[in-house]
Amino acid sequence: MLEMLEYEFMQRALIAGMLIALLASISGTFVVLKRYSMISETLAHSALVGVAVGLVAGFNPLWIAVLVAILSAWLIEYLRSSFSLYSDAILAILLSGSLAIAVIIVSLGGAFNNSLFSYLFGSILAVSNEDVFTILFFGTVALVLLLAFAKELYFIAYDEEVAKTSGIKVQFLNFLLVTVVAIIIALSIRIVGSLLIGALMVIPTVAALQYRVGFLNTMFLSVAFALLSVISGMTLSFYFSLPSGATIVLCVLSFFIISLIANKK
Amino acid sequence: MKFKIPIFDVKNLSFSVRGQKILLHISLEIFSGEYVAIIGPNGGGKTTLIRMLLGLESPSEGNIKLFGKKLSNFKSWHKIGYVPQRASLVDANFPATVSDIVNMGRTAQRSLFSFLSKEDKVAVNDAMTKMDILDLKNKMVGTLSGGQRQRVMIARALASKPEILILDEPNTGVDIVSQRNFYALLAKLNKEEKITIVFITHDIGVIADDIGRLFTINQKAIVCNNPKEALSCEEMSTLYGIEAHLIHNHKHEH
Repeated sequence: MLEMLEYEFMQRALIAGMLIALLASISGTFVVLKRYSMISETLAHSALVGVAVGLVAGFNPLWIAVLVAILSAWLIEYLRSSFSLYSDAILAILLSGSLAIAVIIVSLGGAFNNSLFSYLFGSILAVSNEDVFTILFFGTVALVLLLAFAKELYFIAYDEEVAKTSGIKVQFLNFLLVTVVAIIIALSIRIVGSLLIGALMVIPTVAALQYRVGFLNTMFLSVAFALLSVISGMTLSFYFSLPSGATIVLCVLSFFIISLIANKK
Repeated sequence: MKFKIPIFDVKNLSFSVRGQKILLHISLEIFSGEYVAIIGPNGGGKTTLIRMLLGLESPSEGNIKLFGKKLSNFKSWHKIGYVPQRASLVDANFPATVSDIVNMGRTAQRSLFSFLSKEDKVAVNDAMTKMDILDLKNKMVGTLSGGQRQRVMIARALASKPEILILDEPNTGVDIVSQRNFYALLAKLNKEEKITIVFITHDIGVIADDIGRLFTINQKAIVCNNPKEALSCEEMSTLYGIEAHLIHNHKHEH
């Protein structure tokens, strides 16, 4: 463990990874309770469009990914609230649509290489100082927003209509949540990859739900599972030369299976 | 009885969905301190009416005023406690203790980041005491019986210290003993706490004992100021479209 920390790239990856674990698990609690788990997959694919644009045009892919994911999140929420379309259908349409656009952009720009591969599956080697700064900056903003409105988001997740009739600005907060989730997902794809980030957002909460405890304890458990998964996943990734995203996801999946068996009725 | 403060003032309210008329030219007023029941057949528009009063649906035409203000300008939502249809049929897996749920009733009054203030804690405690659920506060809501869940949902509505409590078929999924206790509780809240009560029910036999006024809704509204006399067989037959026989319950008559 200590040997691993002697390397600067591992220090960067761990700082970024732990912040992402914290953000993904907290926001994931609300997303799962709203039965909106698929949004993480869709926004991850939308973020990939931003990565593609960034790679082809020579901008910072992470910044463009954040921007595109936010726009996609707003489009999803607008379609969900303004048209009589099924939420899961909207997510499925945007997921495949985004992936198609991303593939076309990188193909036309000739950027279908290792660089894109690292964004698909995550790579701790690829985390730069600039990435850490971007993750710290946007991640802090996202965390502050989540904590500021946690009680409102919990109420909305439980009963959106009663929350509305009690004077809570439900539409605004739904937009805020998807915006924050979009930011977190776009930031996470550097470490976990766009194809795997959904797991880090959803599985820790589903594992925590197996313990049938109150809201705060569920969130604490979810954060603990996510942090432990990132730390153990990165450690295994370092010592056994495994892809970081996939290793982290297998670790969190282990927590889920243990929780499921331990709490079997 | 004289009531001075109008809580709901509904004028000429109509509601249509894709050309199908659900409600037609409804006009009614509900005053502070009243105990009102709304009955009518399924699909008659009872829930739609309540949803429009709460701003969850927009009327095709007509006006709604809450506490003297236009619905669009109304901000004091803490004055209204709402218990929706099937509220007691909660998702058993949702991570919520009884305290978590009742605390929700204070959410709109709390500021950003804030924990429960002393005032919030008193209001939550008070609501749980009134509903006799204080000893359940650390229990997961998914493990409670239908009757207990019903009391938790009402406690949540009471935690905001509302002036009016609106309940949409609150007895769904609740056993008969709990239903009787529930009606006694509503009457107590109305008489002792001076909370205005409006509720939708199918339980026609029970409601006539305590309520002040009865609204029958089937596209149009009929307001009955004396429910015991107004619930004649002829009117019930017209309302439900079937032959009806009224069984009198003299238990509470004085």
